[in-house]
Amino acid sequence: MHGIRTLQNRRDRLAQVYSAEIDSFTRSLDAAVEEVFRLMTGASCLPVDQCPIEEREMISAVIGLAGAMSGICVLCSGEKVALHMAEILTGTATPKLNETVKDAIGEICNMIAGAWKGRSPSLSSDCMLSTPTIISGTNYQIHNHRPEFRIERFYCFEGNSFTFTILSESMD
Amino acid sequence: MSEITALIVDDSSVMRKIVERALRQAGISLEEVIEAASGLEALKLLGHRRVDLILSDINMPNMDGLEFIRQLRAQRLAPDVPVVMITTESSEEHVRDAIAAGAQGYIRKPFTPDQVKDRILPLFGGA
Repeated sequence: MHGIRTLQNRRDRLAQVYSAEIDSFTRSLDAAVEEVFRLMTGASCLPVDQCPIEEREMISAVIGLAGAMSGICVLCSGEKVALHMAEILTGTATPKLNETVKDAIGEICNMIAGAWKGRSPSLSSDCMLSTPTIISGTNYQIHNHRPEFRIERFYCFEGNSFTFTILSESMD
Repeated sequence: MSEITALIVDDSSVMRKIVERALRQAGISLEEVIEAASGLEALKLLGHRRVDLILSDINMPNMDGLEFIRQLRAQRLAPDVPVVMITTESSEEHVRDAIAAGAQGYIRKPFTPDQVKDRILPLFGGA
């Protein structure tokens, strides 16, 4: 009986530690998004409770994580939001989804992922980032087999909203 | 500081333009800006082009930025030209690797023009 209680207590403590780590990752993500938008575009970008999807055409930038954490980081927005994001990053308006917009969204995702992992001592040097992959289209979903945890946050800049998701499959 | 020719190496054309803009905003006089999309492309360019400064990303397909600097130094291409890494990888280990490979400076993305100025000007004797 004592052994079962000890095991349960240990599990509870591990769950608390794990939950605290995910909270820390979430705070780091909010800070990384804010920093990337402030420094690279001059725009304020803050977390919001909801991200209304009002567009059929969606675009996602996906960065792979490998090493101390395996998984992906995904920045997802509607096409119009992506165009605006690219415009404030490059300083040039683009009327349609082209290679420049895809490149810009990939770079924003890359900088957020890098700034996020750089805030975690356990990931900073031991978690590698892939180059970005861009997906565009309608009604698609990104799946993975067994997410160890998933952090999904909604952000808003200049009246435009997007989601940023971290899907971890395993963590050392 | 006199006008310089800068080589910007990054697989993202958007980021190459942003780095060029940041150099200009930092007050660095540019005679010319040359772009390369990979370490391999940069090595080919440096076989026949003279530059005064090289700014390179680390995470690039085909040949990453660290291997690019190693090859650059091994082939004695542009031996006296300072190389500054501009990258999302910001751990002390990455900085050490870059310095060991032959980089003279390191700028973390995201960055401001002031940070670019602070890292670049001292390489040319400026404050």
